[in-house]
Amino acid sequence: MRKLLLPATALAAAALFTSAAAAAPTGDLRAEAMMPGSTPFTPWLTVLPILIPLLGAALTMMLRHKVTWQAPIAMAAVGLATLFGFLLFAEVAVNGPLIMAAGNWLPPFGIVMTVDRLGALFVVATAVVGLAGLIYARRDIDESRTRFGFYTFYCLLIAGVCGSFSTGDIFNLYVWFEVFLVSSFGLMILGGEKLQLDGAVKYGVLNLIATTIFLIAVGLLYGFTGTLNMADIRAVIAASDGAPVATVGALFVMAFAMKAAAFPMHFWLPASYHTPRVVVGAIFAGLLTKVGVYALLRVLVMLFGAEGELFYPLIGWLGVFTAIMGGMGALAQTNLRRMAAFLVVSGIGVMLVGLGLGSSAGLTGAVVYAVHSILAMMGLFLAIGLAERFGGGATAAGADIYARSSLVAGLFLVFGFAAAGLPPFSGFWPKLMLVQASLETSGVLGIAGVVAIILSGFLTTVTAGKAWALTFLKPAAERGPAPVAAAAEAVSVPRSGQAAVVLLAALVLLLGLVPQLVIVPAEEGVAGLLDPSLYITRVLEAH
Amino acid sequence: MNSLILRTIAPFLAALMMLFSVFVLLRGHNEPGGGFIGGLIAASALAIYGIGSGVDTVRRAIVVHPNAIAGAGLLMSAVAGLSAMFMGRPVLTGLWWIPVVEGIEIPLSTVLVFDVGVYFVVLGSLASIALTLEEGD
Amino acid sequence: MTVPADLMLWVALAPFGAAALAPTLVHKLGAKAGWILAIVPAALFLGYASMIPEVSHGATLRAGVDWAPALGIRYAQLIDGLSLTFALLVTGIGTFIVVYAGGYLKGHHHQGRFLSFLLLFMGAMLGLVVADDLISLFVFYELTSITSFLLIGFDHTREPARRAAVQALVITGGGGLALLAGLILMRMVSGETSVAGLLASPDVLREAPAYTAIFILVCLGAFTKSAQVPFHSWLPNAMEAPTPVSAYLHSATMVKAGVFVLMRFAPTLDDTALWHTVLPLFGGATFLTGVILGIRQTDLKQILAYTTVASLGLLVMLTGLGTQYAVAGAVAYLFAHALFKGGLFMVAGCIDHETGTRDIRLLGGLAGKMPVTFVAALLGCLSMAGLPPMIGFVAKEVMYDGVWQIGGVSVATIVAVAGNALMFCIALSLLLPFFKKPGEMPKKPHEGYPSLWLGPIVLGGVALGSALMLETTVHALIGPMTGAVLGEAVELHLHLWPTGLYPPVVLTLVTVGAGLVLFALYTVVRGGVGAALDAIGWGPDRGFDQLLGALIGLCVRVTHLVQPGLMQRYVTTTFVLLAIALLAPIAIDGLPALSLPSDLSEPQYFVVIASAIAGLWIVIIAKSRLVAIVSLGVQGVMVALIFMLYGAPDLSFTQFMVETLSVIILALVMTQLDLEIEDHRLKGHMIKDATIALACGLGFAIVLYGVVQQPLDLRLSDFYMTYAYDIAHGRNVVNVILVDFRALDTLGEIAVVMAAGLAILALLRLGPLARSEPSDSTMTATRKASSGEVTS
Repeated sequence: MRKLLLPATALAAAALFTSAAAAAPTGDLRAEAMMPGSTPFTPWLTVLPILIPLLGAALTMMLRHKVTWQAPIAMAAVGLATLFGFLLFAEVAVNGPLIMAAGNWLPPFGIVMTVDRLGALFVVATAVVGLAGLIYARRDIDESRTRFGFYTFYCLLIAGVCGSFSTGDIFNLYVWFEVFLVSSFGLMILGGEKLQLDGAVKYGVLNLIATTIFLIAVGLLYGFTGTLNMADIRAVIAASDGAPVATVGALFVMAFAMKAAAFPMHFWLPASYHTPRVVVGAIFAGLLTKVGVYALLRVLVMLFGAEGELFYPLIGWLGVFTAIMGGMGALAQTNLRRMAAFLVVSGIGVMLVGLGLGSSAGLTGAVVYAVHSILAMMGLFLAIGLAERFGGGATAAGADIYARSSLVAGLFLVFGFAAAGLPPFSGFWPKLMLVQASLETSGVLGIAGVVAIILSGFLTTVTAGKAWALTFLKPAAERGPAPVAAAAEAVSVPRSGQAAVVLLAALVLLLGLVPQLVIVPAEEGVAGLLDPSLYITRVLEAH
Repeated sequence: MNSLILRTIAPFLAALMMLFSVFVLLRGHNEPGGGFIGGLIAASALAIYGIGSGVDTVRRAIVVHPNAIAGAGLLMSAVAGLSAMFMGRPVLTGLWWIPVVEGIEIPLSTVLVFDVGVYFVVLGSLASIALTLEEGD
Repeated sequence: MTVPADLMLWVALAPFGAAALAPTLVHKLGAKAGWILAIVPAALFLGYASMIPEVSHGATLRAGVDWAPALGIRYAQLIDGLSLTFALLVTGIGTFIVVYAGGYLKGHHHQGRFLSFLLLFMGAMLGLVVADDLISLFVFYELTSITSFLLIGFDHTREPARRAAVQALVITGGGGLALLAGLILMRMVSGETSVAGLLASPDVLREAPAYTAIFILVCLGAFTKSAQVPFHSWLPNAMEAPTPVSAYLHSATMVKAGVFVLMRFAPTLDDTALWHTVLPLFGGATFLTGVILGIRQTDLKQILAYTTVASLGLLVMLTGLGTQYAVAGAVAYLFAHALFKGGLFMVAGCIDHETGTRDIRLLGGLAGKMPVTFVAALLGCLSMAGLPPMIGFVAKEVMYDGVWQIGGVSVATIVAVAGNALMFCIALSLLLPFFKKPGEMPKKPHEGYPSLWLGPIVLGGVALGSALMLETTVHALIGPMTGAVLGEAVELHLHLWPTGLYPPVVLTLVTVGAGLVLFALYTVVRGGVGAALDAIGWGPDRGFDQLLGALIGLCVRVTHLVQPGLMQRYVTTTFVLLAIALLAPIAIDGLPALSLPSDLSEPQYFVVIASAIAGLWIVIIAKSRLVAIVSLGVQGVMVALIFMLYGAPDLSFTQFMVETLSVIILALVMTQLDLEIEDHRLKGHMIKDATIALACGLGFAIVLYGVVQQPLDLRLSDFYMTYAYDIAHGRNVVNVILVDFRALDTLGEIAVVMAAGLAILALLRLGPLARSEPSDSTMTATRKASSGEVTS
């Protein structure tokens, strides 16, 4: 291997030191096809949250036999991604959409990474929960899983999700979808238990169908518009009045609704999220469905503009059913992880209601809810993971966690109530915004939206309360004659795991107390979707 | 696999295919070929070698685990993309260096590094699967 | 000196800080921590007391800061007669409760947590009553529900406590959601975001078309919180909480939050037929239900709980009647009730603490053994019975005045008198433990700690003092609060001692007389009511369980239906939806103009396409899955041929490779994993599947055809052709696209290749495939596992 690597490094070094020669031969042509001037560091912020985890994945893969190095490498990569994510967020907040034309090719011909307020918000959320998950994973992932690439998959997942939020190219979006799909599949099967495999098959097949539909839709859209650049697509669609994009739109809606786990395309989620290690379920619950919602926002609202409005009522109704079905599913469960999986679905419904309203307020509510859901669902799964250490996997079996670790019990309650939309946690504000937005919408959908949001909130409250009383309050002694007390003493909850969940709980509380932190970027992000003129100018008039 | 013929010619065939894969990789920028197809051929080469001479022999021959090769490939490609940062160019901008050695232009570039990375990823990943499958028999 | 409202805005948050400190403080100081923590509510009480002079002169103090400016939400407070009286009750009673809790839970290893929850509740309740902003009002309202949930479930090892906690959460939480919708509607309809703004334009809601909706939603919130029939059952069950909680949350303060909300918005919602009908109806029913259910109880706390339900009903009824004296009666009674019920609960807790039981059949002879407690109990019971010289008496007089003024001997009057007579009887029965012959008590009774009797004695003293100094009480509290509820300043003239034989005095005499008769027959009445209720056997409490059970049952059934765990069902649904997604827009927009491509007439294309179709036909009819896989390959190869015919050898080659590999891998998987080769689908099933497949295929074909007929924009390929060699130094445009123009895609794709390789490796090495015994096929494993997907 060293033999192979050497020339490669030599090549890279040579290329590095002598690239000045590159500019010489074809100066005029370059001006036609490439971006002028040199690129400062700032635009690199658009790609670093992707490239650094990608490097992390490459390094962990290369050093697969160094088991103890894996976690620190991943931690460093995602940590740096978080840092750059925050810088990106700040930069975009001050100066508006940030672009980087990959390969220096003039937009719209190359791939242009474009991060606006919305993308930056999601990148930051992704990086933060990614880091929290890694902290939790340190003591939760065994050597065998580490050896078979847990950290590699994890880094790729973060890279793929960040890539989805950062790209300004529809085909590139598909590529990042594939990256996180395949890496998530890898995470799902790690461990290879029967139940896990059953979940993985359903997850893999149905998601592959969704991704394929997405790819077909991209192909068709390219056929119609002759471009893949998002800004350009918007410009072309807006210019061609009444473009026949209805079917393409329907395919996009279907693909993303499937990814988002909207009813009746949600089957794969409750079928699979409870099967892998809890930290895997957690990062899925936090991130993956939200990418679907983000893609719906980006493609339907920004790219399709007025043409997309045709689908809003459909999405709204999907949301209504999803929110209620999810809530009902959660209440029906006696296994905490399954319950949490249905709560993810229910939350997706609430977001889709907001999207379906189509108003600025509705969309903003959906975005705020998405950020809340990323934090709260991740936290809920991890808190359940902590609870399981006390033997509290099923709601029927009391584990007396309240007495044995009030912290763990409290953490569960925080996320449960946050999911239910109770103040003072992060879930309250988006639900408030969405109820208000629904009431402002005339027609049956508005009323249905209010009913769905309130009903799902009610069902979630009952679910959380029931689970808390049965699993966390109920003493283990009531379970049966065999005293579990002896085993109870031995339970050790790793500090790192607790720290990760406490961090998330603190964020959920922080966003509950200072909602402006999310509402303002969400509002500006949605404004940028509804009127993407600045986005388009930045991309298409970059030169 | 107990075929004497295969056992005899496998090393030569593999070596030949390996050489061919590098050729396909390098000519890719101008003629049909490239890192992807090159990597496929190289992986096939290792697979054939494995069938002929045993998986252990192959594993010893390539020194490191095929997965590590794939990882290194991804690293190369990513670094090739990042290197433009130091030249004030956007990510993945091709940086060219065309030295003339005894009258022959040798085009070297980060693009080539990138393609070699692709080659290694495909080679490593497929070889890893193929060798594991062969071991399973 | 008045403490400025701007300061109180922040000081009001102090209980939250104290809650954070409580566990540490208890850890360090033990039970004494209660005395120290009580400083916080005491100081708050003094702060609010300093505002009395200004508020009693009609001033409204406001302060606030932006909270979520994007939504127009502020953290703001409004101090008027209503909120000030409530704030004084919350902090004043709260002070003694904290002290009391220190003594009551002395030595309990979770005392710190308990005090913490209690202080959290105090902060929430205070925030609620002084809230100006409509949304921040709701935030604090929900916080009181949450803290109540935590406190009811505090004694978590007991099943009834857990059930009561969930019940309270479900009922008050559900009502809270309705209230939220109501508040949002108020904001939208009126355009006002604050209570003060609403009060300034009181008619805007009444005249809005959404009035009915707002009214119903607000009532749902208020009735659940204030335990009105039929939502009342959570309150008696909440007695599972330790007694300080019962005294504070479930009698003196939190349960009055519903009444508070009604009173807060009364100026903008009352004076409608709906208001004057619904509130008295529910209130009256609750009042009677409460006393009737209360009289059968033998547990001190249950008796107090049911009379609390009754009192809340009375308050709602009076608020609903809405005349000046009815409202004044409600206000006076609310004040009186908070004092006597808070005190009596603490007395009950004290008795429980010292004797080990709360059963009035066992208790007896405590007057001599617990003299201070007895005095406190006496004061409370006198006030509860509505006897002079207590504030409870004044309240009853004013209330009778109000009821009589409306319609003489009306339903309301009869309800009021009947209810009060029963209340009188119950109040007297509460004194029985002090006099009657004792039964077998678990502990030998003696006087409790000062921390246990201090609260009730002070509250009793206030109940007495406020009646003796009635003019001051009316001027400082009752008058301004009544004014705030009515939405206009009022002149109230109340007196403690009747000056003549007015109708209210007659009603009082009737009440006392009836009450005495009832008390004489107390044991008989108690037994009779108990027997009657047992005969009915069903109540809202059982109904709650049935409803919740039915809801969960429904959820389980629906979830089974939607999420059966059958992969086949999932895939079928997905493809049906895909067909709809493809065909529905076509059905709406109409078909694109279809003209058959001319190429078809050329024989080579015709042969290729015919072969592809033949391959597909075999796929559909094949009985063996292996045959189907191979036939699918045939179709793929034909597609590769088409690519070749159109002059794309690269593409054709790749397609050919992919098809070959797919067939080989699929066939290998089938055989290696010992999957079922035979296709056992029934004919109908196959026809269904074929139809779905054909619909999807047709849809894709039409859409693709539509795309092909559009003029293709060649900007991208032109650009690539032009610059591939000159700038990117490559003649093979495909490769240049891969490694330069769209290198970022390639970077992602090689990451995918790497991940896929690793995933397959993990599957082979770690998965059950690596250790699977041949007889156990994955398909059956899938089926087995899938049945477990929903059932759990």
